[in-house]
Amino acid sequence: MRAAWCILALSVAAPLRAQPARTGAIEPPRSPRNASYTIRATLDPATRTITGSETIVWRNLSARAATDLQFHLYWNAWRDARSTFMRESALGGGPPENPPRRSDEWGRIDVSSIALTSPAAGDLTASQRFIAPDDGNEHDRTVLSIPLAHPIEPGGSATIDIAWIAHVPRTIARTGAIGHFFFIAQWFPKLGVLQDEGWNCHQFHAGTEFFADYGVYDVSLTVPTGWPLGATGVEREKRDNGNGTTTHRYHQDDVHDFAWTTSPDYLVRTARFEHATLPPVEMRLLLQPEHDGQADRHFEATRATLKYYGEWYGAYPYGHITIVDPAWQSGAGGMEYPTLFTAGSRWLAPAGVTTPEGVTVHEAGHQFWYGMVGNNEFEHAWMDEGFNTFSTARAVSQVFDPNYLAVRYFGGFVPWVFRDVRISRETDGNRLTGYRRDAESDAQSTPSFRYFPATGGNITYNKTALWLNTMERWLGWPTLQRIMSTFFTAWAFKHPQPDDFFRTASAVAGSDLTWFFDQAHRSSNVFDYGIQDLKSVRDGDRFRTTVVVRRYGEAVFPVDVLVTFENGERATERWDGRERWTKYVYERPAQALQALVDPNRVLLLDVSPTNNSRTLRPQGRRAATKWSAKWLVWLEDCLLSWAALV
Amino acid sequence: MGGIGVSAIGDGIRRVNGAPAILVGVWILTLAAGLPLAAALRVSLADHLGQSLAADTAASGANYDWMQEFADQASGIGVTFKPTVIGFGAVLDNLSAFIDGTARPIAIVATASLYVLAWIFLAGGIVDRFARDRAIGAHGFFAACGVFFFRFLRLAVVQWLVYAFLFGYLHGWLFGTFYPRITHEMNVERSAFLTRLALYFVFGLLVAAAALVFDYAKIRAVVEDRRSMLGAIGAALGFIRRNAVSAVGVFAANFLLFGVVVGVYALGAPGAGGAGPAMWVGFAIGQLYVVGRLWVKLVFWASETALFQSRLAHAGYVARPVPVWPDSPAAEAIRS
Repeated sequence: MRAAWCILALSVAAPLRAQPARTGAIEPPRSPRNASYTIRATLDPATRTITGSETIVWRNLSARAATDLQFHLYWNAWRDARSTFMRESALGGGPPENPPRRSDEWGRIDVSSIALTSPAAGDLTASQRFIAPDDGNEHDRTVLSIPLAHPIEPGGSATIDIAWIAHVPRTIARTGAIGHFFFIAQWFPKLGVLQDEGWNCHQFHAGTEFFADYGVYDVSLTVPTGWPLGATGVEREKRDNGNGTTTHRYHQDDVHDFAWTTSPDYLVRTARFEHATLPPVEMRLLLQPEHDGQADRHFEATRATLKYYGEWYGAYPYGHITIVDPAWQSGAGGMEYPTLFTAGSRWLAPAGVTTPEGVTVHEAGHQFWYGMVGNNEFEHAWMDEGFNTFSTARAVSQVFDPNYLAVRYFGGFVPWVFRDVRISRETDGNRLTGYRRDAESDAQSTPSFRYFPATGGNITYNKTALWLNTMERWLGWPTLQRIMSTFFTAWAFKHPQPDDFFRTASAVAGSDLTWFFDQAHRSSNVFDYGIQDLKSVRDGDRFRTTVVVRRYGEAVFPVDVLVTFENGERATERWDGRERWTKYVYERPAQALQALVDPNRVLLLDVSPTNNSRTLRPQGRRAATKWSAKWLVWLEDCLLSWAALV
Repeated sequence: MGGIGVSAIGDGIRRVNGAPAILVGVWILTLAAGLPLAAALRVSLADHLGQSLAADTAASGANYDWMQEFADQASGIGVTFKPTVIGFGAVLDNLSAFIDGTARPIAIVATASLYVLAWIFLAGGIVDRFARDRAIGAHGFFAACGVFFFRFLRLAVVQWLVYAFLFGYLHGWLFGTFYPRITHEMNVERSAFLTRLALYFVFGLLVAAAALVFDYAKIRAVVEDRRSMLGAIGAALGFIRRNAVSAVGVFAANFLLFGVVVGVYALGAPGAGGAGPAMWVGFAIGQLYVVGRLWVKLVFWASETALFQSRLAHAGYVARPVPVWPDSPAAEAIRS
């Protein structure tokens, strides 16, 4: 009884002491806090300029001495079309911007001064140089190197003062401005991560995101008075400068990035997440006026995330979260930052369709996979995007099911909901179609920034979600949940590598799963099993049934084969799936009805589920007649559109 | 629009309803135009489903997994087989494609071109029948078709030039250049949508204006037996100028009729349904909608013809005599 009281007292006292929802402080520290930033920045909306300065306190956690300091200057990716980001975007084959970007819509960041104040090394501005560690692109200015005369030894610290001026681009890669809407991310000179192998400070790539050490962020932002502002962390101070500007000071412990947004148009809504066993979370929503009626949908989706991710993986510790509903055409939607994320909705958002719920759950979910488990998104983007896509589909199916397909017409503005087409968690939520199209484009183990830009997303997001859901169906949710929660707990506020997850999975599952990850992760082979043939012919007073099962794909996975007979008998076989094909023969009193490989559809990675079954009472022609008749009406209507011009 | 316009609509509806064979004929034409491609698609769908159990769910409802798998390997007309063919989605898909200039596969463009050619052939007979407002028999109908086919082909060249400008150039400029430019700094979706609606309205007005002129060019060509299509266009412009309110009113009322037909279908369009009798009920509803659309198209011509004729000395005037089908040489031999 006494012990129970002690536990209760501790559990009450801890939140009171830290009050993360009010101060952004977290005690005791959850992360190493080896890269902390104190930033002061002023936004001039008229010129779309940010003038900033920062003090970085950095500690070398690696086993090697730092002979230079390397910084990301992400906004230089949009300095001109010759950056690696822009070249990769062009390689990806996306449509060119329409209208083309004006000269004042490009972005850039220029470091005006940089000094090492501790250990004192003076002004290093003149020694700055741009490097391109990934592709040697001499025109890329997204990585800045500052050589050090005196290396910073392992365990040593440095304090760096940097001043810079940045031009805010028209929104690109989810940052920038459009009209009076400003979403500012990846915006300050930011240290790379020093590892035992050296600096991990990649150039900005078109298909990948970010990687940074954890720290304490204390950021003062000066913006026009009256413009609501949202940012990573908690607002600790707000000071009217008397000159039409207001300075907001935000603070947050144990995060690895800081983003913010401001716009005079935002509506501000608040709500609270409460749960029997999880800590409460204050939710703040910055909403576009045209989505005024959708506040509850954003809050419900965020609640669902905090609840299910919290129950499945671990509690959200920050006590507050900011949901940003980005302006239309800002391109800022669907992006995650610590304690703040952008959702994304539409003016016409019919019920029964998961807009904005789907993206809200996904980006809120990144607080767990990315925010807390800080994998390297340049190299292993699948570790957060894939885990989170899987988790999103799972959470959405808990709360927002059923949901339906919606197609948007007339310039993409007018939605029409197809109530006959229900969205499934397994295939639509995990995006089988996207994966199928690009299944062989890259092995997942390739560093993410080296994926082919146009297809990398399907390997990062979809393939991972599909193999995780395959694991769920194969090992059972309790096992997979323990795998993921064990991994989450072990690697929260750290930088895990892929093998850390694979080791955890094998350890928790109690068997070596390397063979599975070799195929799903380290190879671009596809899984495709099918019933090649089913025959069942009378042989005396019995029927001789032959089932041929084939492995059409290169990847191997053990599968069940289920044969059903007309008298209700069933025969289930277990095939290791290694050979190209196998045969099962039955002598039974009844004729076979159908045969299925992987009848429970465990292997969601199978790219052609239609060939997984074969029946002796096929309905293919009936179905084809039905659908071609529907298509015929569509075609007649199409022809009538043309005839309107006669 | 005035009383004359209203009566022209009523008169047009009466004339169309009084010639059901034309409605049935153009419906059969429409169905026949679509059937070969539908049959080809049916083969593709059946081949892909094969003996799979996926067909069971595809037959009893919508198997979205299979539809996506099919779409991923489809080519040609197969790429248009999407959930958008279900129910009213099909109408939205086509209206949206029409107004947004969405490209269709070559097989569909080719079929649509032949279908349009068939309408060009039939237009003379249809307008002639509505202008005479009495039965002229199949031979009279097709004789009129033949008489006006080459004239309307020449008219179609002008139509093609105008529509090529509207859809090929102006549409591209309006929605590919102008719209992105004026919405460039817009960050409120509702405003952008209203802007797009306004452009749809402007573009639609221009298309409607062209259609109006070409409709009356055809009507004047038939009623006055005009041989010069440029002259017919000039005469149509003159008529529209002199009767602007009535002509535009009749056109707008017909457009409203189109909206009613589409609206009714929106309420009753069948869903995915099953593969048994429900499939045929759904198909029949779809065909009723097609017939409704065709009826509206015919009412357009018939009411415009009625309006034009109401401005003449007497209604039902057609300059060209009813063609008499020549007897065959065999009949002449018997008679003699």
